[in-house]
Amino acid sequence: MEETILKLQQVTKVYGNGVVANRDVNVDFQKGEIHSICGENGAGKSTLMKMIFGIEKPSSGTITYKGQQVHFKNSMDAIKAGIGMVHQHFMLIPSFSVVDNIILGDEPKKGVFINKTEAIKKCQQLSDKYNFELDVTQKVSELSVAKRQKVEILKTLYRDAELIILDEPTSVLTPQETEKLFVQLRSFKEQGKTIIFISHKLEEVKQISDRITVLRSGVTKGTYTNEELSIKELTRLIIDRDIENDMDCFKKDSSIKGNGLEVRNLTMKHNGKNILDNVSFTVKNGEILGIAGVEGNGQVELVKSIVGLNESEYSGSIMVNGVDVSKLSVKQRRNEGLAYIPEDRMGDGTSSELPIYDNIISTYFDREDINGKILMNTNAIDQKSNELIETFAVRCKDNKATISSLSGGNIQKVVVAREYETKPSVMVAEQPTHGIDIGSAEFVHHKLIELRNNGSAVLLVSADLNEVMNLSDRIIVMFEGHVAGYFKDANSVTDHQLGMYMLGASRQSAEEIEGALND
Amino acid sequence: MISIIKGIFTLSFLLVVIRLSTPILFAGMSSFAASTTGIGNIGVEAIMTMSALFAILGSYWTQSAILGLLIGMLVGVLMAMMIAFFSMRLGANPTLVGIALNTFADSLAIFILYLFTGDKGSSASLAVKTMGTINIPFIKDIPILGQILSGQHVLTYVCWICLIVFGILVFKTPLGLRMRSCGLNPDAAKTAGINVQRLQVLSLVFSGIFASLGGIFLSLNYLLIYSKLMVSGMGWMGIAANGIASGNYFLLIVGCLIFGIFRAVSIVFATTSNFPSDLLTAVPYVAVIVVIVTVSIVNYLKIKKGNVNEQ
Repeated sequence: MEETILKLQQVTKVYGNGVVANRDVNVDFQKGEIHSICGENGAGKSTLMKMIFGIEKPSSGTITYKGQQVHFKNSMDAIKAGIGMVHQHFMLIPSFSVVDNIILGDEPKKGVFINKTEAIKKCQQLSDKYNFELDVTQKVSELSVAKRQKVEILKTLYRDAELIILDEPTSVLTPQETEKLFVQLRSFKEQGKTIIFISHKLEEVKQISDRITVLRSGVTKGTYTNEELSIKELTRLIIDRDIENDMDCFKKDSSIKGNGLEVRNLTMKHNGKNILDNVSFTVKNGEILGIAGVEGNGQVELVKSIVGLNESEYSGSIMVNGVDVSKLSVKQRRNEGLAYIPEDRMGDGTSSELPIYDNIISTYFDREDINGKILMNTNAIDQKSNELIETFAVRCKDNKATISSLSGGNIQKVVVAREYETKPSVMVAEQPTHGIDIGSAEFVHHKLIELRNNGSAVLLVSADLNEVMNLSDRIIVMFEGHVAGYFKDANSVTDHQLGMYMLGASRQSAEEIEGALND
Repeated sequence: MISIIKGIFTLSFLLVVIRLSTPILFAGMSSFAASTTGIGNIGVEAIMTMSALFAILGSYWTQSAILGLLIGMLVGVLMAMMIAFFSMRLGANPTLVGIALNTFADSLAIFILYLFTGDKGSSASLAVKTMGTINIPFIKDIPILGQILSGQHVLTYVCWICLIVFGILVFKTPLGLRMRSCGLNPDAAKTAGINVQRLQVLSLVFSGIFASLGGIFLSLNYLLIYSKLMVSGMGWMGIAANGIASGNYFLLIVGCLIFGIFRAVSIVFATTSNFPSDLLTAVPYVAVIVVIVTVSIVNYLKIKKGNVNEQ
């Protein structure tokens, strides 16, 4: 077993703009091991993987694969050598069938044509061999997120990958689906395949890895066997300090009572299917209501309906502070006290080529202190943006820096600062910490708690179960557009219980679910 | 009005439709080829214009219709490569490059025409070898069907062969799968080891060839001269049909044929009816707007009702 398949020696990557992504990284990967790479966002994990996979070239240092020094020119070279990668953002074409996605780039031929029958046979056999339970003739757009991930893994297997890189594979999965994935990963390992596993979730890293390498600021903090490290020690290696996971100690009762947000019988149809099915709940002032669920079970449509971005027809009522806003425009809803942290911070949350000072006022640019009589009050904007940059600890050159020059965590801080500034009575936070570093995530969490303590009603929608469980006072679970479960006390529920509802294995009675509205 | 409706249901009208649809189908294929890999070619009209002119000039210089055809095609491909060069190598927006081509093509064509003929209107003074029609033995003797299938212009047959072959290429071969993947998700294509840029250049070559054939049909095969502004929006109709079809090859063909029908209406009845001819000339362009608006409304209603799969 002690055979090194991949060895990185003194690998350094300096980008054109002078950013050092990796410095003198030394790691070796053994054949047939599951090797985790841990580190904050921006610690250099992705760059390191990109170099292994041939997307980026190292500035200096050597990569040795199967005993030979390699210089991959592009990912095709890496694929040919037997390296496969499952990207965090799936590299799939939704309108293609599963088969077409798998064979793309390496199609079986019959004359000049694609040999469809053989392609289907081969892919189906591969799927069956690993119990992936896929119908390979289906379109990818019809598949759940977990199944799409299986397609990605099949793509690497189809090309006989011996080394498979998985970038944050569990971030979109339920605990049950994660367990299934781990069973499959272990079976790959038994067949002598090497797995490089990248994850933020340290419990999972501990559960699956043989060895763990920690990266911090582009430098390796050492490679350890799983037994050598506790989660606490691992955390300290990654962020250099302890982190408080349970947010309950920060929560304070707010004096403001009443319902901030009330959603009743929200229903929306799509292709004859119920995307939203009679969804009802309230978010009281001074509480955080968490919505758990696998992506694509109606959360996006629910949030869009609440904030006014849903262009399809839907029925039901949405009350913000007792005012029915369901017919109002986005601006009018915001005037009623609604604020929104969108999931897609680059697409919906900010305008990436504009500077921070424009982005940080964009939802209240017409407020008296900022908008002059005819022209914008640039001094006030300058002052306000600097003030927010400071209180929200946005790391940037100055307030003129464009959004696109910031890291994900700092972009999110800009969004949160802007939404916080309007002193909202209802805050809708959609995947507020998805893909940002632990430090920024913690900061965002504290701000949401602060809003709650000040009497805002906070609706938290997240695919990250830990986040939902740590922040929320009450929790509802969405499955296929309806509320499948309601938990009055977020502290008395386990992730496995939530997982059962997220997968549709359990469903509460209508009376139990009514608690979401009436408790 | 009744005379118009009567006129539509005649064989000769159908023959006109087939003829007038040919350049629009070529333009549609040109636009389709480029957008398959995700590069929008809105310079179709310009390519058609320049190729139409250079096919005539080429034929005049070489006294060979085939060489004229090849010179016209070469000019078309070169213009498509300008889009590739400016947008992919120099980083310009392909739409802006297309606009630039369209802006200068008409005037440049007139200028070149004037250089070689001393005439700013048409190439009538040049003696050129042109392409004719093909009579297919046996088939031409079948009543009605024979008149439809046989006796068409050479490039009309080429057009339909191209339609079939290119359709098969795009939808049935590995190359086509790869090309489509570049248009739908270039990142996915890249990680599958596909050279996206190379395929985009290739699709622009196809786009240039089809557009040039559309222009050459008009000059060398149909009207037998080059006259100024002869393309008159047919490139745009192809682009519009491609936009409406949004990747659906069958719809693309249907769209081009519909525009062909309206063009035939405007031309045939300009001579036979009492309608003001200016109004009739506008018919195909109005049809484009009507069709686009209708399709947009239908799509909008579908989204409203939630009957459409958003990607």
